[in-house]
Amino acid sequence: MKTRLVPFALFVALCLVSVAHAAPPQAGPRFLGPKPPEKVKRVVTLAPSLTETVLALGAGSSLVGVSRFDEFKEVAGLPRVGGFIDPSVEAVVVLKPDLLLVQPSPGNQRPVEKLAELGVPVLLLPLQTVADTLAALRAVGKVLGREKEANALVQGIESTRTRVREAARTRKPRRVLFVYGFEPLVVAGPGSFADELLRDAGAVNVAADAGSAYPVYSLERALTARPDVVVDAADVDVGKDKFMRLPGLSQARWVEVPSMALLQPGPSLGRGLEELFSLLYPSVKPDAGTVH
Amino acid sequence: MSFTLARALGLGGVFLILLFAAFLVAVRFGDQPISLSDALGDPSSSSAIIFWSVRLPRALLAALVGAGLAASGVTLQGVLRNPLADPFVLGVSGGAALGATLSLFLGFATVGEVAQVGVGGGMERLSAPALFAFLGAVAAMLFVLVVSRGHGGRAPYAVLLTGVVFNAFASAVITLVKTLSDPNRLGEILYWLAGTLGYERTGTLILSALIQAVAIGVMLALSGRLNLLTLGDEDAASLGVSVVWTRRLLLLAASASVADAVVLSGLIGFVGLIVPHLLRLAFGPDQRLLVPLSALGGAAFLLLADLLARLAIPLFGSEPPVGVVTALLGGPLFLALLYRSGRLSAG
Repeated sequence: MKTRLVPFALFVALCLVSVAHAAPPQAGPRFLGPKPPEKVKRVVTLAPSLTETVLALGAGSSLVGVSRFDEFKEVAGLPRVGGFIDPSVEAVVVLKPDLLLVQPSPGNQRPVEKLAELGVPVLLLPLQTVADTLAALRAVGKVLGREKEANALVQGIESTRTRVREAARTRKPRRVLFVYGFEPLVVAGPGSFADELLRDAGAVNVAADAGSAYPVYSLERALTARPDVVVDAADVDVGKDKFMRLPGLSQARWVEVPSMALLQPGPSLGRGLEELFSLLYPSVKPDAGTVH
Repeated sequence: MSFTLARALGLGGVFLILLFAAFLVAVRFGDQPISLSDALGDPSSSSAIIFWSVRLPRALLAALVGAGLAASGVTLQGVLRNPLADPFVLGVSGGAALGATLSLFLGFATVGEVAQVGVGGGMERLSAPALFAFLGAVAAMLFVLVVSRGHGGRAPYAVLLTGVVFNAFASAVITLVKTLSDPNRLGEILYWLAGTLGYERTGTLILSALIQAVAIGVMLALSGRLNLLTLGDEDAASLGVSVVWTRRLLLLAASASVADAVVLSGLIGFVGLIVPHLLRLAFGPDQRLLVPLSALGGAAFLLLADLLARLAIPLFGSEPPVGVVTALLGGPLFLALLYRSGRLSAG
């Protein structure tokens, strides 16, 4: 009997070990593979927010390939090199980039490491939080030789945050549910950049008790939370009608995000924050100019 | 259809040529067009990089995984005396999938993120899903073999049942994890579970080649005795076969081969089921012939399935998981041949 328990115990131990390390250290921007050249001329990006960063730094002409999810008109004619978790190694190699910008994940780890081994300089940029996003802006600015532009963007975002926080201080805090999908109900939880922006805007994220950044949230908890505002950031409306009619949610004010700025952790975060603020407090006029 | 050395060598030769042809086609074609003269003449050209460093290792990987899955499939169908046995019934796939799912769920990309261990920094870049898949596969395999041991020697169905139950349990846990996962993570998990051939380092490829060579070697060496086992345990024992040990060794070899394949490629179904059955339909039930032919045929089959997956990139804008291609390709082919053979034998 004793020996029969050994493999099972081993297995349970394996599960426990993984749970014990449930919060992996989020490293900042880091390089993989060879060093990029002094003057980077050919850039490939694997995520729309990274493409947007290169464009915002004024280095759009250096882009030679983007992911298949990119919809910016500036890159409409560029070759596509696959998706976030399934980039095509061959398509990237053919473009001979001297910099590849990647949001790292277990899903794209193997092809990205393969590319680094094949001599493509890679810059890995985690984009979980606002701090990550600002660090990514600085890192991309540095490697592209556009530190001044990057600093200006970062300062713009930071001053917008300060200004919005100031403006929010005198307002009654709104209780907000930030929704990415209705069936299942996926919301912005703690650790997401939307949660941070909500706090900047003086709002209370009713899903702050959720266990992860983008959790599938309990319908009953959403109902009992009685949010004042529901921000609809969902791609599709499946299930929205039913959800809207539920008591506890039907009397909430429903608003839709006006642009992608609130959805992509990139240089337009400041604009996204301003949009969020005016969604929450439609009567207040933003008292200063917008961030570029 | 009796077994003779000449026939085995002849068929083996034909299959070897087939495999070689599949290999050549797989490295010649892909997502991007390449120039062969550049690939062979100018080592700094992108054609050469794609040919030597992307397609060649990937073709080797496909061949290794295909050979391992098909050889284990034919062996398990014999050992467990069940035509539906495929390499995944042992619980190995369930354990590996569970391990990889957990590591993806927790967001581990490399072992370096799980524990700060540095054997010269080598562990820092070891893929965490692969390591967890390996641990899960080994744990599940030991679990199934030990739990079914009381019966395993005599009744092959005990192993089969334990494996099936373990897989069902593992898939329930995986579903639970998927339900709790972020949409981003969910995509990664689904992608891994669908079975994809990725990009392995040379060291990993050599190690896997060794594991597969030993495992397939054991299966090949015991294939004659496995023939006798299919007569029934008592008859086999009276002919001097150690029934318990033969079965145990074959189960271990098949498990090792499958665990290696799963860790490298995720869950690629169908290869271990249909390749052996196709060959059995064509060449009869002799394991001495079926084990080597399945290894060669499985390798060729997965090479071609992977080539199709890569050629489909312009069509879908993305690469369909090779596990989907093997199922789409193998299912109808298998049914057609089964139907034909039924009609022939009835007429």
